[in-house]
Amino acid sequence: MKMNQKKRNLILNLAAILVLFLFLMYANSNFSSYNIRILNLCAIYAILGMSMNLINGFTGLFSLGHAGFMAVGAYTTALLTMSPAVKEQNYFLEPIAAPLANLNAPFLVAILVGGFLSAVVAFIIGAPALRLRGDYLAIATLGFSEIIRIVITNTQSITNGALGLKSIPTTTNLWWSFGAALVTLYMMFAIVNSSYGKAFKAIREDEIAAESMGIDLFKHKVLAFVIGAFFAGVGGGLLASLQGAVNPLMFRFVLTFNVVLIVVLGGMGSMSGSVISAFVVTSGLETLRVLDEAIRIGPINLPGVSGLRMVVFSTMLMIVVIFFQNGLMGTTELSWQRLIDFFRKRFPKREVPSE
Amino acid sequence: MSLLKTNAITMQFGGLTAVNELSLAIDKGEIVAVIGPNGAGKTTAFNMITGVYKPTKGNIQFNDQDITGLKPHLITKQGMARTFQNIRLFKDLSVEDNIFIAQHLHLKANLYQAMFRLPGYQKEEKLILEKVFFLLEKVGLADLSREKASSLPYGLQRKLEIARALATDPQLLLLDEPAAGMNPKETEDLTRFIRQIRDEFDLTILLIEHHMQVVMDISNRIYVLDYGVTIAEGTPVEIQNNERVIQAYLGVDEDA
Repeated sequence: MKMNQKKRNLILNLAAILVLFLFLMYANSNFSSYNIRILNLCAIYAILGMSMNLINGFTGLFSLGHAGFMAVGAYTTALLTMSPAVKEQNYFLEPIAAPLANLNAPFLVAILVGGFLSAVVAFIIGAPALRLRGDYLAIATLGFSEIIRIVITNTQSITNGALGLKSIPTTTNLWWSFGAALVTLYMMFAIVNSSYGKAFKAIREDEIAAESMGIDLFKHKVLAFVIGAFFAGVGGGLLASLQGAVNPLMFRFVLTFNVVLIVVLGGMGSMSGSVISAFVVTSGLETLRVLDEAIRIGPINLPGVSGLRMVVFSTMLMIVVIFFQNGLMGTTELSWQRLIDFFRKRFPKREVPSE
Repeated sequence: MSLLKTNAITMQFGGLTAVNELSLAIDKGEIVAVIGPNGAGKTTAFNMITGVYKPTKGNIQFNDQDITGLKPHLITKQGMARTFQNIRLFKDLSVEDNIFIAQHLHLKANLYQAMFRLPGYQKEEKLILEKVFFLLEKVGLADLSREKASSLPYGLQRKLEIARALATDPQLLLLDEPAAGMNPKETEDLTRFIRQIRDEFDLTILLIEHHMQVVMDISNRIYVLDYGVTIAEGTPVEIQNNERVIQAYLGVDEDA
């Protein structure tokens, strides 16, 4: 019975991946470049959402440092993929620091190095900050994230400062972003279901009890924080390569806020919730762009209010926090069993009348 | 030879001395109770022994090793486990996971092995799960293994907490008011249960309890605290007849 269930899940998983593959192939050749771009963003935000959920939702550490980690990943990827000639064009105020000028790596290596450096930064930040709890941790990580941004703004010869980097090779396409999202999803489930993942959840539930059950709080908090930062860095790298340009202003608190929105809407402690809400929020933010522009209803002409869509979205977040505190999924995960049970309940098998 | 020995441990919070020069000595296999009125410093003593607080003065020996000031998780690793006065289960997790987590401290596989379920981890996980069900069987929770811990009735939550503590493989088990809030039937059950696990798991037990029937019934020896000071120590019979204890805690019969 149990073996059969495993087999069934494997088959269904493979089928789902195949369907996704066919859909991406169709999208690639038939969708407008604008829609493809939104799909790419959805997948990247899914990675960011899952990585933050591991820290905030599963381990219960209220961290607001995501934009900083993404910036590290984005800049690393950009610097590793740009050709020396493009770099020379970019750094016209102050020439690029010598060792960076000729540094070059394939895209895959570049995003992995970006993730790795972001994890290193998280480790350095985490060691002092993770001794704090709750609100204090949130403030400290938010501060560190801003520090990273300010450092990037002021290291002209390394990051080109406030000018940012342009003409980054745009390698990110649907295959890269969805491939990375799938790998992240797999890794996250693998972590969360292992003994380590259970230890993370124990820390979220009750730190004192977890510690007295022999769990090294500090070690596990740092571990969750560093893994989360790694994937945030990867997401940042993909984003940099999707947009072809980065500058320090991209990595302000608003970016972290968007990811928090995704995690809270999807459910703190549900990876599948984060994925679903990443798609809903990202495509929603795009479709709601209409609100920012002038609207004509018959003879009435409403002038556009820029930022109105953010008002709508923030209101949504407030509604969720007030009425649906657990988000879309709470701490439960979407699984085949759950789906099958759901449909069985909705459409009970009709009795076949016997002859 | 004592399993646990505290040498005149003192805990001061600012000007308040919560526990004053407490010296306990507990031998292997004993069941020892700490009693005293509310605010006598019993739980503070527990918190010092388990590493939650670092004693202001004095030292603690466990298995002939100095454990004073060690972090709680390291003390648990050395073979000491506890329960809490106000039950601290991992509420939103399943009964099964509560016990699974308590074995994490002995896990040898690293994160990489655990993530990709390499053979080393799989073997360990199998043993962990076997122990989970062995312990659940022991405390009669096997049928409820998938339930949320918070959905269990009070008495079973207490038992689950004890089972969780047992999962860490302790030599010494510290129980903080295990009978609190239980009805007479549950209390009787619990007394039997504590004796049973002592014998089966080769445990030494230190408990705080207000329920005198449990204390007198179960303990080999009793320490009595009052305002942080140890006012008596002895067998249940000695304690029941001790003048000071009767005055401070057990109460004087006015008619006598």
